[in-house]
Amino acid sequence: MAAPTAAPAAAAPPRRPGLMKRLLREPVAALAFLVVALLVGAALLAPWLAPTDPFDNNLGAAMAVPGTPGLPLGADSQGRDMITRLLFGLRITLMMGLAAVLLGGLGGAVVGFAAAFYSRVDGLLMRLMDVLLSFPAILFGLAIAAILGPGIPAVVLALSVATVPLMARIVRGAALVVMRQDYIEAARATGMSDARLILRHLAPNCLSPVFVFATLRFGQVILLGSALSFLGLGAQPPVAELGAMASEGRNFLFFAPHIAVIPCGLIFVVVLAFNLLGDALRDALDPRLRV
Amino acid sequence: MTRLLEVEGLAKHYPVKRGLILQKQVGAVRAVDGVSFHLDRGETLALVGESGCGKSTTARLVLRLIEPSAGRVRFQGQDVTQARGAALRALRRQMQIVFQDPYASLNPRLTVGDAIAEPMAVHGLGDAASRRARVQELLRLVGLQPFHAERYPHEFSGGQRQRIGIARALSVEPELVVCDEPVSALDVSIQAQVVNLMKDLQARLGLSYLFIAHDLAVVKHMADRIAVMYLGAVMEVGGKHALFAKPLHPYTRALLAAIPHPDPARRGRVTPLGGDVPSPMAVPPGCRFHTRCPFAQERCKAEVPALRPVGAEGQQVACHFAEALPDPGLDYTGGLTEAAAKRLALYDAARRRAA
Repeated sequence: MAAPTAAPAAAAPPRRPGLMKRLLREPVAALAFLVVALLVGAALLAPWLAPTDPFDNNLGAAMAVPGTPGLPLGADSQGRDMITRLLFGLRITLMMGLAAVLLGGLGGAVVGFAAAFYSRVDGLLMRLMDVLLSFPAILFGLAIAAILGPGIPAVVLALSVATVPLMARIVRGAALVVMRQDYIEAARATGMSDARLILRHLAPNCLSPVFVFATLRFGQVILLGSALSFLGLGAQPPVAELGAMASEGRNFLFFAPHIAVIPCGLIFVVVLAFNLLGDALRDALDPRLRV
Repeated sequence: MTRLLEVEGLAKHYPVKRGLILQKQVGAVRAVDGVSFHLDRGETLALVGESGCGKSTTARLVLRLIEPSAGRVRFQGQDVTQARGAALRALRRQMQIVFQDPYASLNPRLTVGDAIAEPMAVHGLGDAASRRARVQELLRLVGLQPFHAERYPHEFSGGQRQRIGIARALSVEPELVVCDEPVSALDVSIQAQVVNLMKDLQARLGLSYLFIAHDLAVVKHMADRIAVMYLGAVMEVGGKHALFAKPLHPYTRALLAAIPHPDPARRGRVTPLGGDVPSPMAVPPGCRFHTRCPFAQERCKAEVPALRPVGAEGQQVACHFAEALPDPGLDYTGGLTEAAAKRLALYDAARRRAA
């Protein structure tokens, strides 16, 4: 039975390119992917890549400028090799940022979808989120550090908790829009379970704002993490962490600017690369944007 | 013919609340207010009426996509309004829906094949391979190509998407398909194709349709029986031919007279209804149509007319004075409907030649 509108029986079109191929088609996205891969690789392989020990101080080389023989990026106020400190710092900064965004984002997504889908708990959940939202992240850091003791786990936990209400609001807003679409009603009419409806029909269509927010939040979390380190709640000296290194370097900004500027530059590169990759991933995951 | 669907006194009232903290109910929007009708197996019942008269709400109540405030929906003798859990799931398999807007009714992140296969997966029909084969079969059934299964909804036109929506609804072999204005978002030529496809599928698969529309040409082509709704209630029910030949309710007459006729002699003989539809928050007492009815009398303002059989062909009308109304002397059957019927027939013939 052929209807008048049916396309002539052409040969089946070629297979669609896979996710990876679509992701890397844009030059900017490919570059961002490369930078992120390099950063993560460097962080993972820090113990093998680093020329010296991160805690190995040599007061004779204190504040050595970049380009000093044997110290291509110079040394910090304690005479520790900057390259080594950056590699180890990257490790902790990336771990902290990713863990906080993933944990907080996941928690926020669960709350947001629950609030949008089950209108009965919407008011309660959102007022709880408002309560969380009213505390600054630094305050969470102080409270959680008081309970767990200062350190990286306390920082990650504090930043995750501070991310939950933000993500919950964004997910709820996006989900409420999608909930009004006919295809959600169609899915309901087939009699599928709520879990299937949320995971297959609701969540995938809420991805765009989630990606944008997660990548933005990743940068914020790194900066908040270094603020907590600065307050003595996060990475404890002599542990290297990019934010802590930057804040430590600020004392010497006039004599040895490289101690603060180089970690800040690396933070900038990390945040930018993750932002670009997040945008590219969002586009690659959206079938409507495929050519 | 056996009864497939029986609807009795179905109502949906949305409470209107005022106040920020201590909310109190200050009224109710009576979107659907005591609707009763029945649908036989293999039959098409059209719900017609102007925008906001509760057609779509009725459809969603029948499918229990929203909870009714009162009334009963019986599907093959089983009460839909009381079903829960597995029983409700089993009922959902028997009743599917085709939506008005083909651009909003398909999940943009699922391929067409996945979208059509999903209802089968939800109800555990077949395995992955047999579902894939069934998707190909369904695509062919609705006039698309099997390789379209790999594509995403945004790669299709409105008419094609509506075909995909129909294939999705048919994938679980339902008894009843509720069509919520399935063609009103489509171009006129595409409308004819989709309407003919639906008729064709009905004949092949023995489907029953609850067909919602406001295009009376399409209704006349599709329906076996027609229920006319006004402000949340049924005003008149009857067979298509009887209703078009001799509309008994003043509202039905006004509705049919509003079809544009290319006949200059009609000018001046049709008086359009004055006024607007009253708010469903303040439904007039008595007959809800009395505020706009040219024949309204004292009794109409006080007494709600019941839907009662009038005439020989099972026509039912909710009007106190249905028998006493003057004959309007208008021909409701001709005019544009004839042109539309011709157009539909032409497409139908073309389809058959192509088959």
